[in-house]
Formats: sequence, C-alpha cells, structure tokens
Amino acid sequence: MTDFAVTRREPSLGWWGMALFVAAEATLFGVLVATYFYLRFKNLEWPPQGIPEPKLGVPLVLLGVLLVTSVPMQLALRAANAHRLGAARLLLGLASIVQAGYFAMQVHEYAGDLGRFAPADHAYASIYYTLLGADHAHVALGLLLDLWLLAKLARGLTRYRLNALSAITFYWHAVNVLTIAVTLTILSPSL
Amino acid sequence: MRERVERLERIWVARPGVLGWLTTTDHKRIGLLYFWATLVFFGAGGVEALLLRTQLAQPNGDVLGPDTYDQLFTTHGLTMIFWFIIPMTTGAFGNYLIPLMIGARDMAFPRLNALSFWVFLASGIFLYVGLFLGFGPNAGWFDYVPLASRLYDPARNIEFYSLGLIFNGIASTLTAVNFIVTIFKLRAPGMSFNRIPLFCFAFLAASFGLLFALPALSADLILLFLDRNLGMHFFDPAHGGSTLLWQHLFWFFGHPEVYILIVPAFGIATEIIPALTQRKMIAFPLVAIAELLVVFIGFGVWAHHMFADGLPTTTLVFFAGATAMVVIPSTIQVFAWSSTIFTGLPRFKTPLLFIVGFILFFVIGGLTGVMFVAIPFTQQVTDTYFVVAHFHYIIFGAAVFPIFGGMYYWFPKLTGRMYFERPGQISFWIIFVGTNLLFFPMHIVGLLGMPRRVYTYPGGMGWTAYNAIESVGGFVTLAGILLLFGNLVVSYFRGAPAGPDPWHGPTLEWSVPSPPPEYNFAVVPTVSSAYPNWDEADREADRRRLAEGVGVLDDGHEQVVSTLVDGEAAEVVKMPHSSPWPVLLALCLSGMLAVLVVEKFAVAAFFAVLLALTLLGWHSTEPEAE
Amino acid sequence: MPRAGLVTLTAAALVVAGCGSKQDALSPESGASRGIATLWWKMLVGSALGLGIVALILLAAWIRRNRAGVPGVREGDRVALGVVIGLGIVVPIAVLSGLFVFGNVFLIRKTTMPTAAAAVRDRPKLTVRVVGHQFWWEVRYPGTPAVTANEIHIPVRTNVRVLVSTDDVIHSFWVPELNRKIDMIPEQTNQVLLYADRPGRYRGQCAEFCGLQHAHMGLYVFADPPAVFRRWLDGQSKPAPAAGSRLFVDKCGSCHTIRGTPATSRVGPDLTHVGSRTSLAALTIPNTPARLREWLRDPQRVKPGNQMPRVELTDAQIRRLVAYLEARR
Repeated sequence: MTDFAVTRREPSLGWWGMALFVAAEATLFGVLVATYFYLRFKNLEWPPQGIPEPKLGVPLVLLGVLLVTSVPMQLALRAANAHRLGAARLLLGLASIVQAGYFAMQVHEYAGDLGRFAPADHAYASIYYTLLGADHAHVALGLLLDLWLLAKLARGLTRYRLNALSAITFYWHAVNVLTIAVTLTILSPSL
Repeated sequence: MRERVERLERIWVARPGVLGWLTTTDHKRIGLLYFWATLVFFGAGGVEALLLRTQLAQPNGDVLGPDTYDQLFTTHGLTMIFWFIIPMTTGAFGNYLIPLMIGARDMAFPRLNALSFWVFLASGIFLYVGLFLGFGPNAGWFDYVPLASRLYDPARNIEFYSLGLIFNGIASTLTAVNFIVTIFKLRAPGMSFNRIPLFCFAFLAASFGLLFALPALSADLILLFLDRNLGMHFFDPAHGGSTLLWQHLFWFFGHPEVYILIVPAFGIATEIIPALTQRKMIAFPLVAIAELLVVFIGFGVWAHHMFADGLPTTTLVFFAGATAMVVIPSTIQVFAWSSTIFTGLPRFKTPLLFIVGFILFFVIGGLTGVMFVAIPFTQQVTDTYFVVAHFHYIIFGAAVFPIFGGMYYWFPKLTGRMYFERPGQISFWIIFVGTNLLFFPMHIVGLLGMPRRVYTYPGGMGWTAYNAIESVGGFVTLAGILLLFGNLVVSYFRGAPAGPDPWHGPTLEWSVPSPPPEYNFAVVPTVSSAYPNWDEADREADRRRLAEGVGVLDDGHEQVVSTLVDGEAAEVVKMPHSSPWPVLLALCLSGMLAVLVVEKFAVAAFFAVLLALTLLGWHSTEPEAE
Repeated sequence: MPRAGLVTLTAAALVVAGCGSKQDALSPESGASRGIATLWWKMLVGSALGLGIVALILLAAWIRRNRAGVPGVREGDRVALGVVIGLGIVVPIAVLSGLFVFGNVFLIRKTTMPTAAAAVRDRPKLTVRVVGHQFWWEVRYPGTPAVTANEIHIPVRTNVRVLVSTDDVIHSFWVPELNRKIDMIPEQTNQVLLYADRPGRYRGQCAEFCGLQHAHMGLYVFADPPAVFRRWLDGQSKPAPAAGSRLFVDKCGSCHTIRGTPATSRVGPDLTHVGSRTSLAALTIPNTPARLREWLRDPQRVKPGNQMPRVELTDAQIRRLVAYLEARR
C-alpha cells in the first residue's frame, strides 16, 4: 500500500493544534498581565484607597494544589501509552476531582472578593477580576475537557482517545504554568 | 491504474447540491466559498470608498452628512482589512493552494477549516446588519477611546465593532492554526523544511503573525466591551485607567496586522515570478527568512503609530530604531524579485504585469514608510492624507495587485480554462493608472495640511484640485476592476481549455489536472527539491508508482503525515470528509455574539450551552476505524 | 479700541494677501517646520533614486525579455545575489542609519521644547494652555485672566510653550507651518514648541478624529510683534467692555462666559471678547454679523453634531445678541 517507510511516532496533529491554541492563549494572558503592570505603573496607589491588598495565604496554597495535578495527568498519559487503561482512568479521575475542588474554592474566593470591592470601582478592580476570571475560565474549560475525556475512556482506548489525552494533558500543564503567572501578578502588591 | 483512480474518486466524492456546500470540508471548496464571499465584501468596501470619494470630490460636499460619513469610512477600513484582504489571501488563496503545493489531500483539520469559513461569513453579516441598521462602527478602524467609550458613543455602534472583530478574529485564528499544522506536518515525504515553496513560507509567517497578534486585539476589544457594558475602567483615567492602554494594545496587534496583510501577497508574487520567468528565485533562503523576519520584527515597532501621543523621547527613539530594522527584510525581497525577473526569461503576461505593478507600488509605499523612521517627520504627517497615501500604496498596490495577478495566474488551474490575455493586460493598465491617480495626490494634500477622517474640507486650502483628481482616479480604478472580473467571467465560459500546466509552473499544483480532483493527488508525490514540478524524473516516478498501485492511499480518506523538519513519512491518518457540525457550531456562535450586542447575557449563556452540545456532537465520531 | 482695530486690519490684510489661510507643511514658517520640510525634500530625492533603480532593473528586464538564452531554471547567480545583498542589505542599512541619526538625534532637537537645561535665550518665554473640546479650542494664558477660543496669539520670534490637554476625547493640536502635531489626551498634559519667524496668521486643525465635526475644528495662531501682542493680551485679560445683557445671560449663560457679567459657565467657549475674533465655531464660519445670525438661528444646520443645541430665539432677539456680541471686542 505504501512504498515509503512509516517511521517514528511524533506528537499527533491534535496535539499540535492544541499546542498552537495554547500559544495563542498564552499570548492573551501575556497581554493581560502586561495590562496589569501598565496600569499599575500609571497609578501611584495600587491598590487604590478603599480596596484591600490581596491576601497571600489561600491563593498560594490553591496554586500549589493545582500545580500538583500536573503529576497525575502526566502519569495518566504514561499509563495510557503503555495500554494500562484502568490506571489511566483512575489517575485522570483523581486529577479531575482535585481540579474541580480547586475551581470550587476559587469561585468561592472570587465571590468573596466581589463582596468587598467591585470591578466598576477602579481600574485595579477591573483588571483584577478580568485577569482572574480569564484564568478561572480556562480551568473551567479544562474541567469540561476532563469530563468529556473520562466519558470517552469509559468506553475503551483508541488512538484518537490517546491523542486526546496527550492534548488535554498538555493543555493542563499550560494552564498550570499560566496560573503561576496570573497568581504572582495578582498577588504582586503584597509580595 | 484506472481502477485505483476510480476507487479514489468513489471514496472522495462530494455530497451533491447545496447540502454538499454546507457540509463541505474540502479545502478547495472552502477556498472557493471564501473567494466569492470576500469578493462581495470587496464590492461593499469599494462602494463605501467611492461614496467617500464622491463626498470629497469637492470642498464643502453635501453628498454625505458627518454621521453617515463616519460609519462609511470606518466600515470601509474594517471591511477591506478584515473581510477582504485577510480572508481572500488566507481563506481563498491559502486554503485552495497550500495542500496542493505541499502534496497533501486536505488541511490538517478539515472541519475546523469549514468552521473558520462559516464563522467568518457570519461575522461579516453581523457587521453589515449593524451598518444597515444605522449602527455601523463609527470611530475609525482603530476606534480610539475615549471617543469609543459609552460616554461619547452611547449607541450600539461600538458593540458591532468589538463583537464583529472578535468573531472575525476567531475565524482567522483557527485558520492560522490549521495552516501551521498543515505546513508543518502534512508535507509530501521528501519535502524537507528547506524545500517548502516560498508561498507556504509566506503563509506560515502570516499565520504565526495572526496567532500572536490577534490575542492583543481580542483582549483590547474585550476590555472595551467590559468598560462599555459592565462599567469597568480600563480606559478611564479618572478611575486609574489609561486611554493610551487602548492604543498600545491595538497597535501591538495593528502593526503585525499590516505585515499579515502583505506577506501572503509576497507569497503570491514569489510563485508567479519563477513561473513566468522560468527561473528559480534568486537567494531563495534569504527570501524565505525575510518573509518570516518581517513579521517577527514587525512585532517590535508598534508605537510608531503613536509618535504624536506625548510618549517619552527614549521610547520614541527605540521604536524608530525597530522601524528602521523592519525595512531590511523588505529590501532584500524587492531586489530578489527584481533580479530574478531580470535574469530570467520573463513572459510579461497579465499575472507578471500585476507583479511588476506590485513591486513598483511596494517600493513607493515602502519608501514613504522608511520616511517614518525620522520621528519629527512622522509627527508632522501622521494623521494626514500622507499616511492614507502610504498605506493605500502598500495595501492596494502591494496586497491587492498580487491578488489580482494571482487570480489570473491560477485561473486556469481552478477552472481548466485560460483567460483572455488582451483584456487582461488592458485591465491591468487601467487599474494601474487609476490607482496612481487615486492615491498619489494624497501624498501631496497630506503635506499641504489635509488631515485624515474629515467628512469635508474648505475651499481655498490648495486641496481641491488634488481631491478632484483622486475621485476621478477612484472611478477609473473601478472601471479597470470591472473589466478584470468581466474578463474572468467570460473566460470561465468561453476560454480555451488550459490543461494541467499552461505556465510550466514550479510547484505541485501544476502536476494535477485542472481543476484538481477532490483527492488532489492520486499518489503521494515524490519530492526532492523546492521546485517539484520542474523535476521531471520525480513526476515520472509518480506515474510509475500509480501504475504499480504504490502510494495511492485509498483505504478511506487517507493522508500521510511527515516529520516536521526532514519531511520523512511518519504515519498515515484518516481525514474527516463532509460534516454538518461546522456550520451548526457557527450558528451557535453567531447566536451568542448577536445577543451580546443587545446585552442579553442570559440568552448568550443559553447559546453557549448549545455551543458545548454541538462540540460534543462534533467529537462524537472518531476517525474511520483503523 | 483702535488697537484691536489695528490687529484686525493686519489680520484682514494677511487674509487678503492669501497668506494664513493654508496649513502647508511645505511652507515652513519656523526653524522646526523648516527642518522637517528640508528633510522631506531630501528624502524625496533619495526615494526617487531608490525607485529609479528598481524601475530601471524592471525596465531592463522588459527590454531584454526576448533575448535568446538558456531557459533558466538555473541555480544561484553570483551577480544577482550580490545585488540582493548589496542593494537589499548594505545600502539600506547605511541609508537608514543616516536617516535615523539625522532625524532622531539632530532634527528632533529643533522640534522639541528646549529643556530646563537649555540656554536662557532658548527657554520658552510664554506659556499658553490649550484644552481640546468637541469641537473647539479653549485657550488660556496662565498668569493672566485672559481666556479665548479658537485663536492663539503669540509674540513673533519667541519660543512659546503650548501645554495641551483635553476635556473629553483625544484631539491633536497641529499648526503645520510652525511645528509638528501633539495629541491632547485626558491622562496627561502634553506640550509643543511654537515659534514663528515672522508676523502673520497660521492655520491649524485638529488632527485626531474626535467625532462628528472633527472636520470643522480649526484654529488660528497669530504671531504679532511683541508690543501688539502685549496690547492684545491686555485687552483679552480685561472683563467685557460696558454692561451685560439680560438676554445673553438668560439664553446663553448656561454654557458661555462673558467675564464681568453673571454668565460664567465654562461648557462652551468664553465669549468675553468674541467680537475681536476672526472666525467663529473653530474656523467653520467667518466672524461677520450675517454668519453669526445664521449660527444663532440654528447652529446644528451650520455645524451638525456640534455641542451647541438650537436655542429658541426670535429674529429680534437674534439681532440684539449679534449686536451685543460683535461689540464685545
């Protein structure tokens, strides 16, 4: 059928598509972070009078929790590559639960902040909620991807689902790295 | 051999009728859809331009009032950039030709490709609904705040602007991703990175440009939407915000954007030149690198659009320096193109005429661009007609001329017929004269003090005669363009049959029938140089392999995937073929954005849910069983 | 009164002479704009040369197109590569470097405000503050009570600092015969140097799209001999001559000021000495009784979309207001 030797496995087309999508999203976050610092250096007081400085404790702990989920995600991919579907499903499920818990806590924190100051109060608040909101939205998207993938893997492993797992794992690593940047930016007045 | 080809034809058959077009994922059909849609937008943008020119033909004109004028000039700019040039070059030319040039059967993500088109189309309809309702964007294509803020532009005009562009940007981003993965991974084995056609290098550069520039625009537009609709203060200095922030983000996108506009045109030129001069491109590696470099360096010059803003002198000087650097990749290319034509055996047929015109326009526009390296000069002429002259020489001359030339050049490939040469040449000359009449005097009136974006001007300023000439030039250009399209239409029905390779072109699209079959290549082509169609031995090898039934890949919709750098075959994948999901997804997305204009956030959320469900449906089928 | 008349006569003479109604960057009237214009002409010559070289190569290609030769799907051509590198890299780098240094190290000194470190004779002797509005220019002279609109007077052959900002959207202050433009943005006060070589009237226009009547936001800069300027400034600093007008305060006081009367609103231009101005509505119409009548009858007809609404006035009221305003010199 083919006269050329089909050689090594490289990342799938789907992985490449995800990588480029991530590059675009990373640029978006880069722009938002740059906006944060641009506004910061235009303002003498940051945060302005009346808006509390960000607390360090809870956000940093939550960040740690999220970062840790990269481990089970990557292990799930390893397992799937070695055709150990059961282990892969378990690890993916575990990561998803922790990610969901992270997301729930973040929503709680966000709502709490909204009770103390509003996005319409000052540019500080506007960029604070927008930058954080963008990050949480990407986590939420990741959770939806996890759910879809778990449902697919429940019915067995195919090359397509394996490629999907590799793409989604990459997505999560990227989201985690971006969340470091976002968290450090948001916390920068208190650092 | 015949029966292998017949088998391919059965597998790759398109669905008939309108449904076939709605569900197509074939890059050629999608390219054609883009072609016709962008032509409609080109017509709209052209009508807008002629209305503007009619209003400006005389001082104190009363053809258009200021409100109409403002919507027209804004929409003209937006339409020509986002709904004509980018989708015509990337969506039409890129889509149709890239897989053919690299020896592939389709794009890497065929359904995503279709989605790009439908989203693009919907975004254009969205924008024009706004215009026809009297809510067309009206604060200029760069839409500076505070003028574009809720306080000074309270109606929905700016929502049509921001949502329309976000929408359009989604389409372009998806296209960029598709092009990059396709060019990286779907090349025929043997097409190592240094053998990629220059056309594809150009589109690779433009795609990376889109990928990294559009997020800045999207962010800017989202921030504007939030300021206007949720009371936020990104751009409000009274509450810690900054009006310059809008400009920085906009131009961080906006400058790379102009390279995204012309680099594909460079790609078209670098295909027509070797073909019509029968000569390999001089300094091929330099040209390829230059195409990538101009976009890359172009990311570092944005504040030269802000030289009159009152930024610190150090900042200005940095950006002037970067602006000087970005000139070099262009000068390299100009001399590479010209010397290739000089050392070749040029046949000055219509496509090459348009490329010669393009080179001259690009040099003039580029030279006025070079003048902007001198900050005080820029500060004198920015926001005047001098700048309007500069960018129209570049956009019309250096982006549209290659598009016209490309239409003539690839006409035989798409239709199987040859166009009529004489009317083709006449159309070139009329357009060439018309565009010079239209845009050259703008340099002069700008220096004589005529600012941009004025709906009228007083007499006695020394501007009147030039404006009259420009308006005449607009209509002369129109005549030339009508002749061009008339010629193509008549040629479609009456032109002589063209065969696969009327030009003896260098790239692979000329090795397949005209028009190409749905599956493009019966066998995976053998490639061992950057000019594969000039390698007779390889094409002979392909014929032998077809006869032997080797490399036909007809077990479903098959496509070979290669390694990134060396282009060695890595695996064979199954491609989707024909799907209803892209158009359905585009409908959900349209619904969502449409209701955001009227701030019905709950309804928008409902559409978002529909969107998610459609995505589930899209991914419910997996590639044909292995 | 006679002094104001002298100024008006001079202006009128200049108008008649045709001078001062254009805003031509290529008719420089100061060192700064002359530097820019001279650079332009040099760049034009250089550009013509560059275009000429490329055009020549293409023309030569056309001339020799039918020569007998090898159908050349050939490889690299040494000479051609030399041309690409020489003309495409080396020469442009040299030209760009020269242009960059000249424009951004030398010329920029002429067009920029001398700093506090500059020699005393170069430092600006006068500061004028201009605030942009949709669609008119508010002009103040810090240190004096003088307020006017759409016209600036400066002493000739003097460095003047113009501080610019805006009350609403971004505008751009631009008098091409005197210097480059400078944007007027809400978040900071910018400045531009104005200097006029000789007495005259110089036209400027807003150069950043600011809304419906961006096209009709012009201004005049009058460069006067120092004594004439002093007299003008003294005149503008005084409150309005003679009594107020009940009619004016009733109908116009909600937006306009006439100093010395109960009308003190700053929404629209200060009209204390409106009679002494050459034009109205930021150069949209000349300042004549007939045109002022037309304006008062319906400003939206004259300048649709400007910020002055149509006020209900009878013909008699209009005539009285016109007489009153024209007398505020």
